Amino acid sequence: MLRVSAVAEAAGVPSSSLVCEGFVGQAGTTAVGLGMPNLPLAPVAGHVDTQTDNELRSNVLGETLDAVIANLTEPPEEAVETVEPEPRDIVFEGSFEEVNRLFYENRWSDGLPVVPPSVEKIERFLAFSDRPADTVLGKIPPDNRAATVWNVAANGVMAGCRPEYMPVLVALAEAMADPEYGVEHSGNTPGAETLITVNGPIAKALGFNYEQGALRDGFQANTSVGRFWRLYLRNVAGFIPHETDKGTFGNTWRVALAENEDVLKRIGWPNTATDMGLPEGANAVTISRYTGGDVVTSVFGRRAEEMLPYLADALVKQSGWELVFTVGMATGTYRPLLVLSPILAETIAASGLSKDDMRDWLFEHARMPARKFERYISGWTNLVPGHRSLTELAALGKAPRVFAESDDPDRMVPIVCEPDDFAIAVAGDPLRTNAYVFAHNGILGFPVSREIELPADWEARLAVAG
Amino acid sequence: MADYSVVWPRGEKAQDLQALAPRLDSLEGKRVAFLWDYLFRGDEIFPMLADGLAERYPGVDFIGYDVFGSTHGDEEREIVASLPDRLQELRADAVISGMGC
Repeated sequence: MLRVSAVAEAAGVPSSSLVCEGFVGQAGTTAVGLGMPNLPLAPVAGHVDTQTDNELRSNVLGETLDAVIANLTEPPEEAVETVEPEPRDIVFEGSFEEVNRLFYENRWSDGLPVVPPSVEKIERFLAFSDRPADTVLGKIPPDNRAATVWNVAANGVMAGCRPEYMPVLVALAEAMADPEYGVEHSGNTPGAETLITVNGPIAKALGFNYEQGALRDGFQANTSVGRFWRLYLRNVAGFIPHETDKGTFGNTWRVALAENEDVLKRIGWPNTATDMGLPEGANAVTISRYTGGDVVTSVFGRRAEEMLPYLADALVKQSGWELVFTVGMATGTYRPLLVLSPILAETIAASGLSKDDMRDWLFEHARMPARKFERYISGWTNLVPGHRSLTELAALGKAPRVFAESDDPDRMVPIVCEPDDFAIAVAGDPLRTNAYVFAHNGILGFPVSREIELPADWEARLAVAG
Repeated sequence: MADYSVVWPRGEKAQDLQALAPRLDSLEGKRVAFLWDYLFRGDEIFPMLADGLAERYPGVDFIGYDVFGSTHGDEEREIVASLPDRLQELRADAVISGMGC
């Protein structure tokens, strides 16, 4: 919304941005990142969704209207450039406790102690990249700061990563900067959190846990790489709670997920990176933002057809308002994830199903009544204004035909637009019949993969690191 | 003696300060474009603003949000990229963009 105003201003057209009262702070900091800290705002009292028609009209025609007129006709305050440190500038010298206090007070840390980012420690990380420290990997909104090899290393140090994780961290920064991912939406109110999936031989080489407790802290690679992601969002993207990060609740960063490549190879299923179009066997990271998840416990059965109905049911139960990314706000961008424990994947594969076969089955069977789907996107929410039915949306070309095969409100409709929209990964306790489902945040964190670039003499450097 | 000498963990700003557009002397006789992300009751709020503005500036004219489409969603990038040309083509003098909630 503010980005639109900034584009208009740059084109010479004055703007006024309508912002609910609780979002004025976020708008102010986002405007700084856009290079227009004085971008004019017109506040709307309270939150519009809970106001009666009369309350809304009174608020809009009162304070908001006056602000709009002032925004468009009165000269704004002059913008002032702030001076910031250079990458190698020493900003502080002190004890571990003093450094951590400074970083916490300046909101450069997540509240846990960080490893102090000294030049010496950062250079140990840089030794695991062939790229110069000042290499710009991308520009990351909303602060619109440069992601560089240097600041990747600095935040990797702080997160408690080991220097040899550096190639993974650089790939993550590149993925974060990919416009397809939509990192600028990471501060939106559902407060979803990114899941990093690691694939390829590097997972074993760096000691990622991919078996029991695959999503539990306690394994340095999984835990610190997950923490790096959130610190990088804070320090380079600029997502700070109570400012640009408006997650209503939010949750802690996710431990990185590594897939069980041995099992995938044995059953002949591609891993996540290959599903995303990368070469088989590539070292890669995949990022995707999920609103939440739930475990599917004790899946019972000896064959796929006995197991799949329970998994389909779990996918449906986990999908609510997120269906606005299936039809409505950003049609065809909902990508729920099903993580299977190895024994589940092996049993399903032994029944003769490929990953694609499983997706086809889920597309046909993970369904809900059209009436309920419509409530999620425009009844209980107002995410698709106008209260149009799926049939009407299909007639307007805004929903695939599968959602409008009849007018019966109780017909069963899919939760995604096509079978390939289901993501499937394999990890966790090899001998436990549990799965995990994640609801996805659509275009507000669309899946993106990046191949991990290793330095020329990776094996030798890794051997030295021990 | 200090145990640690530390650097700043943030990144260099990659966005220069940009000047805002000149403001208007008045909205009288001007064309105001509504831009909407299709969220949070904009379909009710924009008509209210149109009423209020028209009452104070009888000669003001409006370009509806439906002329542009949703500024947040699957067509967002295309719509934002084409916005400067569209505003010029539609002779828009000002923009009101919502809803940030």
